[in-house]
Amino acid sequence: MGKAFFIDVAKCSGCYNCQFACKEEHCTNEWLPIAAKQPMTGQFWLKVEEHVEGTKPMVRIHYIPVLCNHCKDPACLKAAKNGAVYKREDGLVIIDPEKAVGQKEIVDACPYGNIYWNEELKLPQKCTGCAHLLEEGRVPRCVDVCHTGAIRFGEEEDFADFIDGATVRMPELGLGPKVYYRNIPGRFIAGTVYDPEEEEVIKGAKCHLTNGVKTWDAETDAFGDFWFRDLPRGLFTLTVEADGFDELHFPEIDTKGNSINLGDQPMNRRKA
Amino acid sequence: MKQKEANKYKRLVSFSLMGPESGALCEVECEDGKIVRINPYEYDTEYTEANCNPWHMEARGKTFDPPKRVNITHMGLCYKTRVYSPNRILYPMKRIDWDPEGERHPETRGISGYERISWEEAAKICANEIKRINKTYAPEAILCESDMHGEGKNVAPSHGCPNRMFSLTGGYTQQMRNMDSWEGWYWGAKHVWGCEPVGEMAPQANLIPDMAKYSDAILFWGCDPEVTPLGFGMKMPTLLCYWFTELGIKSIYVCPDLNYGAAIHADKWIPILPGTDPALQLAIAYQWITSGTFDKEYIANHAYGFDKFVDYVLGKEDGIPKTPKWASEKCGVKPWTIKALADYWAEKIVSICHGNGGSYIRAPYATEQARLEVMLLGMQGLGKPGVHQCKLIEWNMWAKNYPLPYTPAFVPEVPHICDAIRTVPGDIPSNIGMSRFPLNDAQKERAPEIVDLFKVLPGPKQYIPRCMVQTAILDKHAEWMGMSCFATAGIPRPGNNRVPTVYDQFQKNEYPRPGMSRIHMIWSTAPCNVTCWNDGFAFQRAYRDPEIETFVVQHPWMENDCYFADLLLPVCTKHEMHDIGNDMSSGTYVSVYKEEPCIPRRGESVSDFDVCVKVLEQFGPEYVKAYTGDLTEEERVRFFYKASGCEEKMSFEEWNERKIFVVPVSETAKDEVPGLGDFASDPEEYPLETPTGLLEYSSSNIERFLPDDTERPPVPHWVEKGESHDERLSSARAEKYPLLCMSNHGRWRIHAQCDDIPWSREVETMKVKGEDGYLYEPCWLSPEEADKRGIKHGDIVKVFNERGIVLCGAYITERLIEHTCYVDHGSRLDPIIPGEVDRGGAINNITPINPMGKNSTGMATSSFLCDVQKVTEEDWAEWKAKAPWAFERHVDSAFGVCVEGWMKDYENGDNYHG
Repeated sequence: MGKAFFIDVAKCSGCYNCQFACKEEHCTNEWLPIAAKQPMTGQFWLKVEEHVEGTKPMVRIHYIPVLCNHCKDPACLKAAKNGAVYKREDGLVIIDPEKAVGQKEIVDACPYGNIYWNEELKLPQKCTGCAHLLEEGRVPRCVDVCHTGAIRFGEEEDFADFIDGATVRMPELGLGPKVYYRNIPGRFIAGTVYDPEEEEVIKGAKCHLTNGVKTWDAETDAFGDFWFRDLPRGLFTLTVEADGFDELHFPEIDTKGNSINLGDQPMNRRKA
Repeated sequence: MKQKEANKYKRLVSFSLMGPESGALCEVECEDGKIVRINPYEYDTEYTEANCNPWHMEARGKTFDPPKRVNITHMGLCYKTRVYSPNRILYPMKRIDWDPEGERHPETRGISGYERISWEEAAKICANEIKRINKTYAPEAILCESDMHGEGKNVAPSHGCPNRMFSLTGGYTQQMRNMDSWEGWYWGAKHVWGCEPVGEMAPQANLIPDMAKYSDAILFWGCDPEVTPLGFGMKMPTLLCYWFTELGIKSIYVCPDLNYGAAIHADKWIPILPGTDPALQLAIAYQWITSGTFDKEYIANHAYGFDKFVDYVLGKEDGIPKTPKWASEKCGVKPWTIKALADYWAEKIVSICHGNGGSYIRAPYATEQARLEVMLLGMQGLGKPGVHQCKLIEWNMWAKNYPLPYTPAFVPEVPHICDAIRTVPGDIPSNIGMSRFPLNDAQKERAPEIVDLFKVLPGPKQYIPRCMVQTAILDKHAEWMGMSCFATAGIPRPGNNRVPTVYDQFQKNEYPRPGMSRIHMIWSTAPCNVTCWNDGFAFQRAYRDPEIETFVVQHPWMENDCYFADLLLPVCTKHEMHDIGNDMSSGTYVSVYKEEPCIPRRGESVSDFDVCVKVLEQFGPEYVKAYTGDLTEEERVRFFYKASGCEEKMSFEEWNERKIFVVPVSETAKDEVPGLGDFASDPEEYPLETPTGLLEYSSSNIERFLPDDTERPPVPHWVEKGESHDERLSSARAEKYPLLCMSNHGRWRIHAQCDDIPWSREVETMKVKGEDGYLYEPCWLSPEEADKRGIKHGDIVKVFNERGIVLCGAYITERLIEHTCYVDHGSRLDPIIPGEVDRGGAINNITPINPMGKNSTGMATSSFLCDVQKVTEEDWAEWKAKAPWAFERHVDSAFGVCVEGWMKDYENGDNYHG
């Protein structure tokens, strides 16, 4: 057990305070022996990824802050010569700014792309977990400036509830990442149904979705909209039924590339 | 080690770019005379729990507690880069082509470079020019541009210092700020519900707790709660929006773009073509009227002229019923969605939220959407529980009963030394206290030491609304309605806010006034007209007009209008001076705090106040004494605290020690009637400020004064085109310019400010890197519009119409509907050909020059026609041949355009001075 980051994506408003505070801390200050100065631009020890899902007007955005995973079994540490990467007792993985000079292979070793090369200093650089601040009893800057509590930091044992059901990036690599995520949304399938004769939305239409393994049910709301959220990537079949209307059938909805908005779909009145 | 500890210190300095009351307090950690980091200020909860009666909102079994710290934005967090920016003006500088003793070369403004001169020389030139202009023409030949939005300061404000100086040297012409943040509300909504002074709903007491309890849904209509409130330095609206969702309140967004609030909070996004909101609103009214689903009893008791409104909506007036199908063709929303929205709104309890309005109320004829919105709220029982128009910005401004979300026990009366937006004596009835910051009797009694300093100096001789300045200079004449005052008193005081200024709107005014001189000199502390106001290219041509003999700018950074100045005077930032700050709006508490220098003043910069002192020294010691009252900066802080009324609650010694006085929340805050609740329950006892005291569906004032105005008729109309604007997709112009440009406040800026933060410039919604490596302002396009033009994401594009060309980087996204493009205002100008072509992406360069309507002297800076095309090789070749220098100016790789690019002998190289 040791220190870890706990990120609730549902709480991230995309303000980028974390990304910018990290830069304020490290681009204009030097924190030896933990970190040399980061170049003014170009490195993202913490980077907010913006994900735009769907097509207008069914579009949703979520933001995922990504940073060094401070892995249990760090690939960078293995690639480093001369003890240039070390793991602290609290679990934070640190690149020694003196010993690591010239070791570009440390950058290449990180499968997550979280290590950057400082061309001027010939130095691999990355998130330090603000180890220099922890010594003062403070928390990492990204955590400190998050208004919504989306990024938290602490001992793994204190966050057991969060870890239960959380995901990590590329778990298949088995590196034991110590940045845990919750609520990264899956794909959605959405659309609107309306009566072209009356030019009115159809409320309460029954929508039935299946991917052959699992099924989902929904009803259209006051705007004639249906939403299936947090879906896996794959192929789906959708049927929409409403009293007095011909059934709508969508045989192959593919969410592999993006969430899907089926748009405004007319439902024809059933002929007597 | 011990030595090092001793060199560490903390300072309180607010992030404040929206006037002196807008402070979002930060704690600045410093070491060895340098800023290390900036943190949000954290309240001493032990103190506030015991002394400040903290508020808690309860609704539907959930509680919202006040944040323990000021929720500062990324701009506050990154402000260090602005203090140390390579774009700081550090020394007085003179344009090399400008010789006050010889040739002045106005035609090379915006092209020629600068050289450093001494303060002594600069002050002498300024004083000589003021004297010369006064003698040759008249004092009013000096135009003082000194309103908004510089750093918020009280003892040495960003704006107003030169007005004070010119009051002593003989007089000036006032650039009168138009109601830029409230245009549609001020010129439109005010005629429906009064609601002085800005036309948004007032009072705003207890709205947030009331909506939390009773509303089923909130319409964010043209509102981005994640963007426009940022000007007040805080992220409280973010937290409130999350809470509304947690309570089960639906968030419905009506806007052309999936804005930043909609991106994370929307339950439903209804995209609409920019500026076409009146069509949708009229169709909703049509649905309600024809189906009888509005509050008939309320309308019977609360409305005037409703029958005329019904006649227009049903088509009895013009033969066109405003059906959903009719509206759909105008606004692009499907008829079935319009009906669904109308039905939902009629069935549920719905409020509307705004962050003033942004693009929604700054469009051609935006008076109409503003008026219609109020009328729709009225048809559903405005003022009843959960039915309000709620502001997520400017809390505790304009009137005392505004939320924080709860009203403070009192509003501190921190004096503000300069009045930047003064009326011409005699223009406004004397019972309206338009002077923004006079000392009141209580302040005088508390702090007699500053009575002399606040002696009322002579006002301006004439004025020009800010949105007409370029017209006035270029045409040598201008006429307009109203605007003889900026409807503000800033600090709520009886008599300042509640006296209707609406009649001023019906007075015709002109420039120059009979017998008065035209402008021949300009002095600016607000050099952002080219990027924040209307038709920036026209502003550039005005600044190059041969009649303008001298142009002086005092400012911390080299940007925008600065490139046209003949003299640049260096101003320090908040982080380099003493001040008394007051936070009225950040959301947890109102507070008054002591600001102290974090670092020594950079270069030869001085405060705005001291810039004018240096000039007045050339006039003689009596001028300096009259200007300063013989008080130093620190003495002003001391006595301003004394005058504020806080000293009665916390001694100066304690304040000096704690550095902050937090105002308690009123003990009776929760008892105040929410919003217009009193009017809703008893309109006779609690009338509105309209002439009839009722909601006016046909404005009795417009009926009386301007009944034939087709652009703002008594009953709000859909205006397809008019004599002022022809900016609809139905226009013949749309054949050449088929896109409606939407322009909001920048996500990463506050108007023109903070465009230079290197870390936000790395985010693609802030800047798009072109193939030439230059960081271009993003121009959003839908994939469909991009495909039509062969534009790919990241391409360098030109956004253009008859008014000129602005270069941008294509940002292709599903967040925007077809037939539109979207560019935020405020990107810093980088002129290729001044007045014609801009590389910096300052979109306001090509916005309409005409006022919002012929009788509405506001600016229309969104929802106008343009096209977007890829920049071609031929374009580049033409511009490079015409203006090779524009491509040779140094641009910092991190900060963008910067002062070194404009120096005669600059050293090429990126240069952060921290």
